[in-house]
Amino acid sequence: MTAHFTFFVVTVFAVATWVGWEWPYIAKLMPVYVAAIPGLLLALVQLYRDATDWEGRRRGEKDGGLDMDEVVTVRLDKRTEMRRTLVFFAWFIGGAMAIWLLGIVIALPLLALLYALVEGREKWPVSLLMAAATFLLIWGLFEYLLEMRWPAGALFG
Amino acid sequence: MEVSLFHAALQGLLNLLHLKVFLAMLIGVSIGTFTAVAPQGLGMPLVYAILLPVVIRWEPVTGIALLIGASSVSAICAAYLPVLFGIPGGAGSQATVLDGYPMGKRGEARRALGASFMAGGMGCVIGTLTLLVALPAARPLIYLMGSPELFVVMLWGLSMVAVLAGRRPIKGLIAAAFGLLLATIGQQAQSGIMRFVFDQMYLLDGISISIIALALFGIPSALDLALTKLGVEQQAAPLKGSLLDGIKDTLREWWLVVRCSFVGVWIGIVPGLGSQVVDWLAYGHAAQTCKGARETFGKGDVRGVIAPESANDAKDGGDLITTLLLGFPQGVVTALFIVALLAWGFVPGPEMVKKNADLIYSIIWIQGISGIFGTLVGFVLAKQLAKLAEVRYTFMVPIIFIFVLMGAFSANRDPVDLLVVVSFGILGYFMRRFGYPRPAMILGLVLGDLMEKYLYRSMASYGFSWLTRPAVIVLLILATISFALTLRGRLKETR
Repeated sequence: MTAHFTFFVVTVFAVATWVGWEWPYIAKLMPVYVAAIPGLLLALVQLYRDATDWEGRRRGEKDGGLDMDEVVTVRLDKRTEMRRTLVFFAWFIGGAMAIWLLGIVIALPLLALLYALVEGREKWPVSLLMAAATFLLIWGLFEYLLEMRWPAGALFG
Repeated sequence: MEVSLFHAALQGLLNLLHLKVFLAMLIGVSIGTFTAVAPQGLGMPLVYAILLPVVIRWEPVTGIALLIGASSVSAICAAYLPVLFGIPGGAGSQATVLDGYPMGKRGEARRALGASFMAGGMGCVIGTLTLLVALPAARPLIYLMGSPELFVVMLWGLSMVAVLAGRRPIKGLIAAAFGLLLATIGQQAQSGIMRFVFDQMYLLDGISISIIALALFGIPSALDLALTKLGVEQQAAPLKGSLLDGIKDTLREWWLVVRCSFVGVWIGIVPGLGSQVVDWLAYGHAAQTCKGARETFGKGDVRGVIAPESANDAKDGGDLITTLLLGFPQGVVTALFIVALLAWGFVPGPEMVKKNADLIYSIIWIQGISGIFGTLVGFVLAKQLAKLAEVRYTFMVPIIFIFVLMGAFSANRDPVDLLVVVSFGILGYFMRRFGYPRPAMILGLVLGDLMEKYLYRSMASYGFSWLTRPAVIVLLILATISFALTLRGRLKETR
């Protein structure tokens, strides 16, 4: 899987280099010479490492200690982790699609209600309260108070 | 027009004497406190990403009061999760778990929290004072820096961040290069050429940084909550003990607070070293220098809480020194702060020091005042805030979804915004999973425009001869040496 992601990165840098190659010098200085070409070379090295499991061979040894990115490490079995991850993204993508189809004023309160009820197994009153609070925020604050109109969904547009 | 720094400091303070600025600061303090206490889903990068599209429509000083008010406080109140749950509240409070959680378990949670707030507040004040002194001291040097020097400094800083940001330096560099590449999407200001637009109107002005930041940080954080089911499967330590004892402990250990605060400021100044490092360095320093630490550290020694917390809060002062004086952000939060400044028409760095010194002083005043407020809030509302730390994931995850999707959609109100936020949310997940540090990518994205501007100016004014300027040569040598030493050190660690 790691190699697949690195291959994706290699592809992005390669395409960027190819697309930008014909531009005038001043236009391609940053994207091609500073970003894409060095990125491509580094990504190819990383692809080689991933393909040969270079990091796996060093996993028993002391790892680099610094990590500016977040530190929560989830300790779950792989199957549970995969299932919860897929469910999570299903909710997220579903929410985005609902905004597109129904409009944000309907979609987000509905998302809050359904997530609390179905995924969270919260009680009806609590779930309805969350949905109501979401509606107040999106419609009450933005549309009513600030008069910032949200576009209608594709089904109603 | 240049004004004396004294007048700038005075004007900076006068800028704050408006009710709406004060209210904005209080709102920022509230947001920062809530963010610090709530489970990790709502980290400061995500909060900044959510607030950005809103505050850039405000007056600059009011918007700055909100943003700085939030960020200066978030570290002060970040000890709840480490002390009560034994998990890091965010970057910079990992070491606090080592002694804070044992204190919580043996009925001294309030003492640990009191020490944390007091140490954090003192650290924030020391960091702010350092920032105050740094401006007049650094101004002559800053005036000497032109576009070539600024480009080299930014490149140096970005490469250091990239090398240090993740467990594998090469992945950090790849992430930074990817961020730089994303920054070039859209119409180039200098030549008018459409780059990577592929005939799509949406991409003409590039991809909104706030959408990328929202997705990149919000979605993986929310996923962590959904995976760990925080608040349901984890129970808090009881909130017992005395806050006053913690305050007395901190005042007694004032010299430790001062030393660790300067560690924090130094970490904040040096490019590439971030919140992840500061608490461990301060903890390590305290473990080596405090009497009897070998026997007591890691078992509930209050000094093991005081050291990292004071350093963590002082670091903000150091961060702002490089952000405001050099225009180089030290992390995601300062990077997004730069985005806000640019949106208001201010260019951080020498230009801002010359033309807007009063605004810099306003930021310094806000940083100090909100730190003091945050400390007081922590003391007064300790019991109530502790309850916030137990908010279930079933509430936190949909809240994050709502803010991420709403924040993204509000950028352009275009359905393509949704596609972008979903795509970068998935990208953020995979980056985190496969060890590509997101901070490096965001820094590349934020700095890309500025770096290209400085590079273009350098080439336009000097051709390639800008590389032979004495200051540039010195900076390049320093950058090469520190980069090589750092990379060698990282490679040694990973062998």
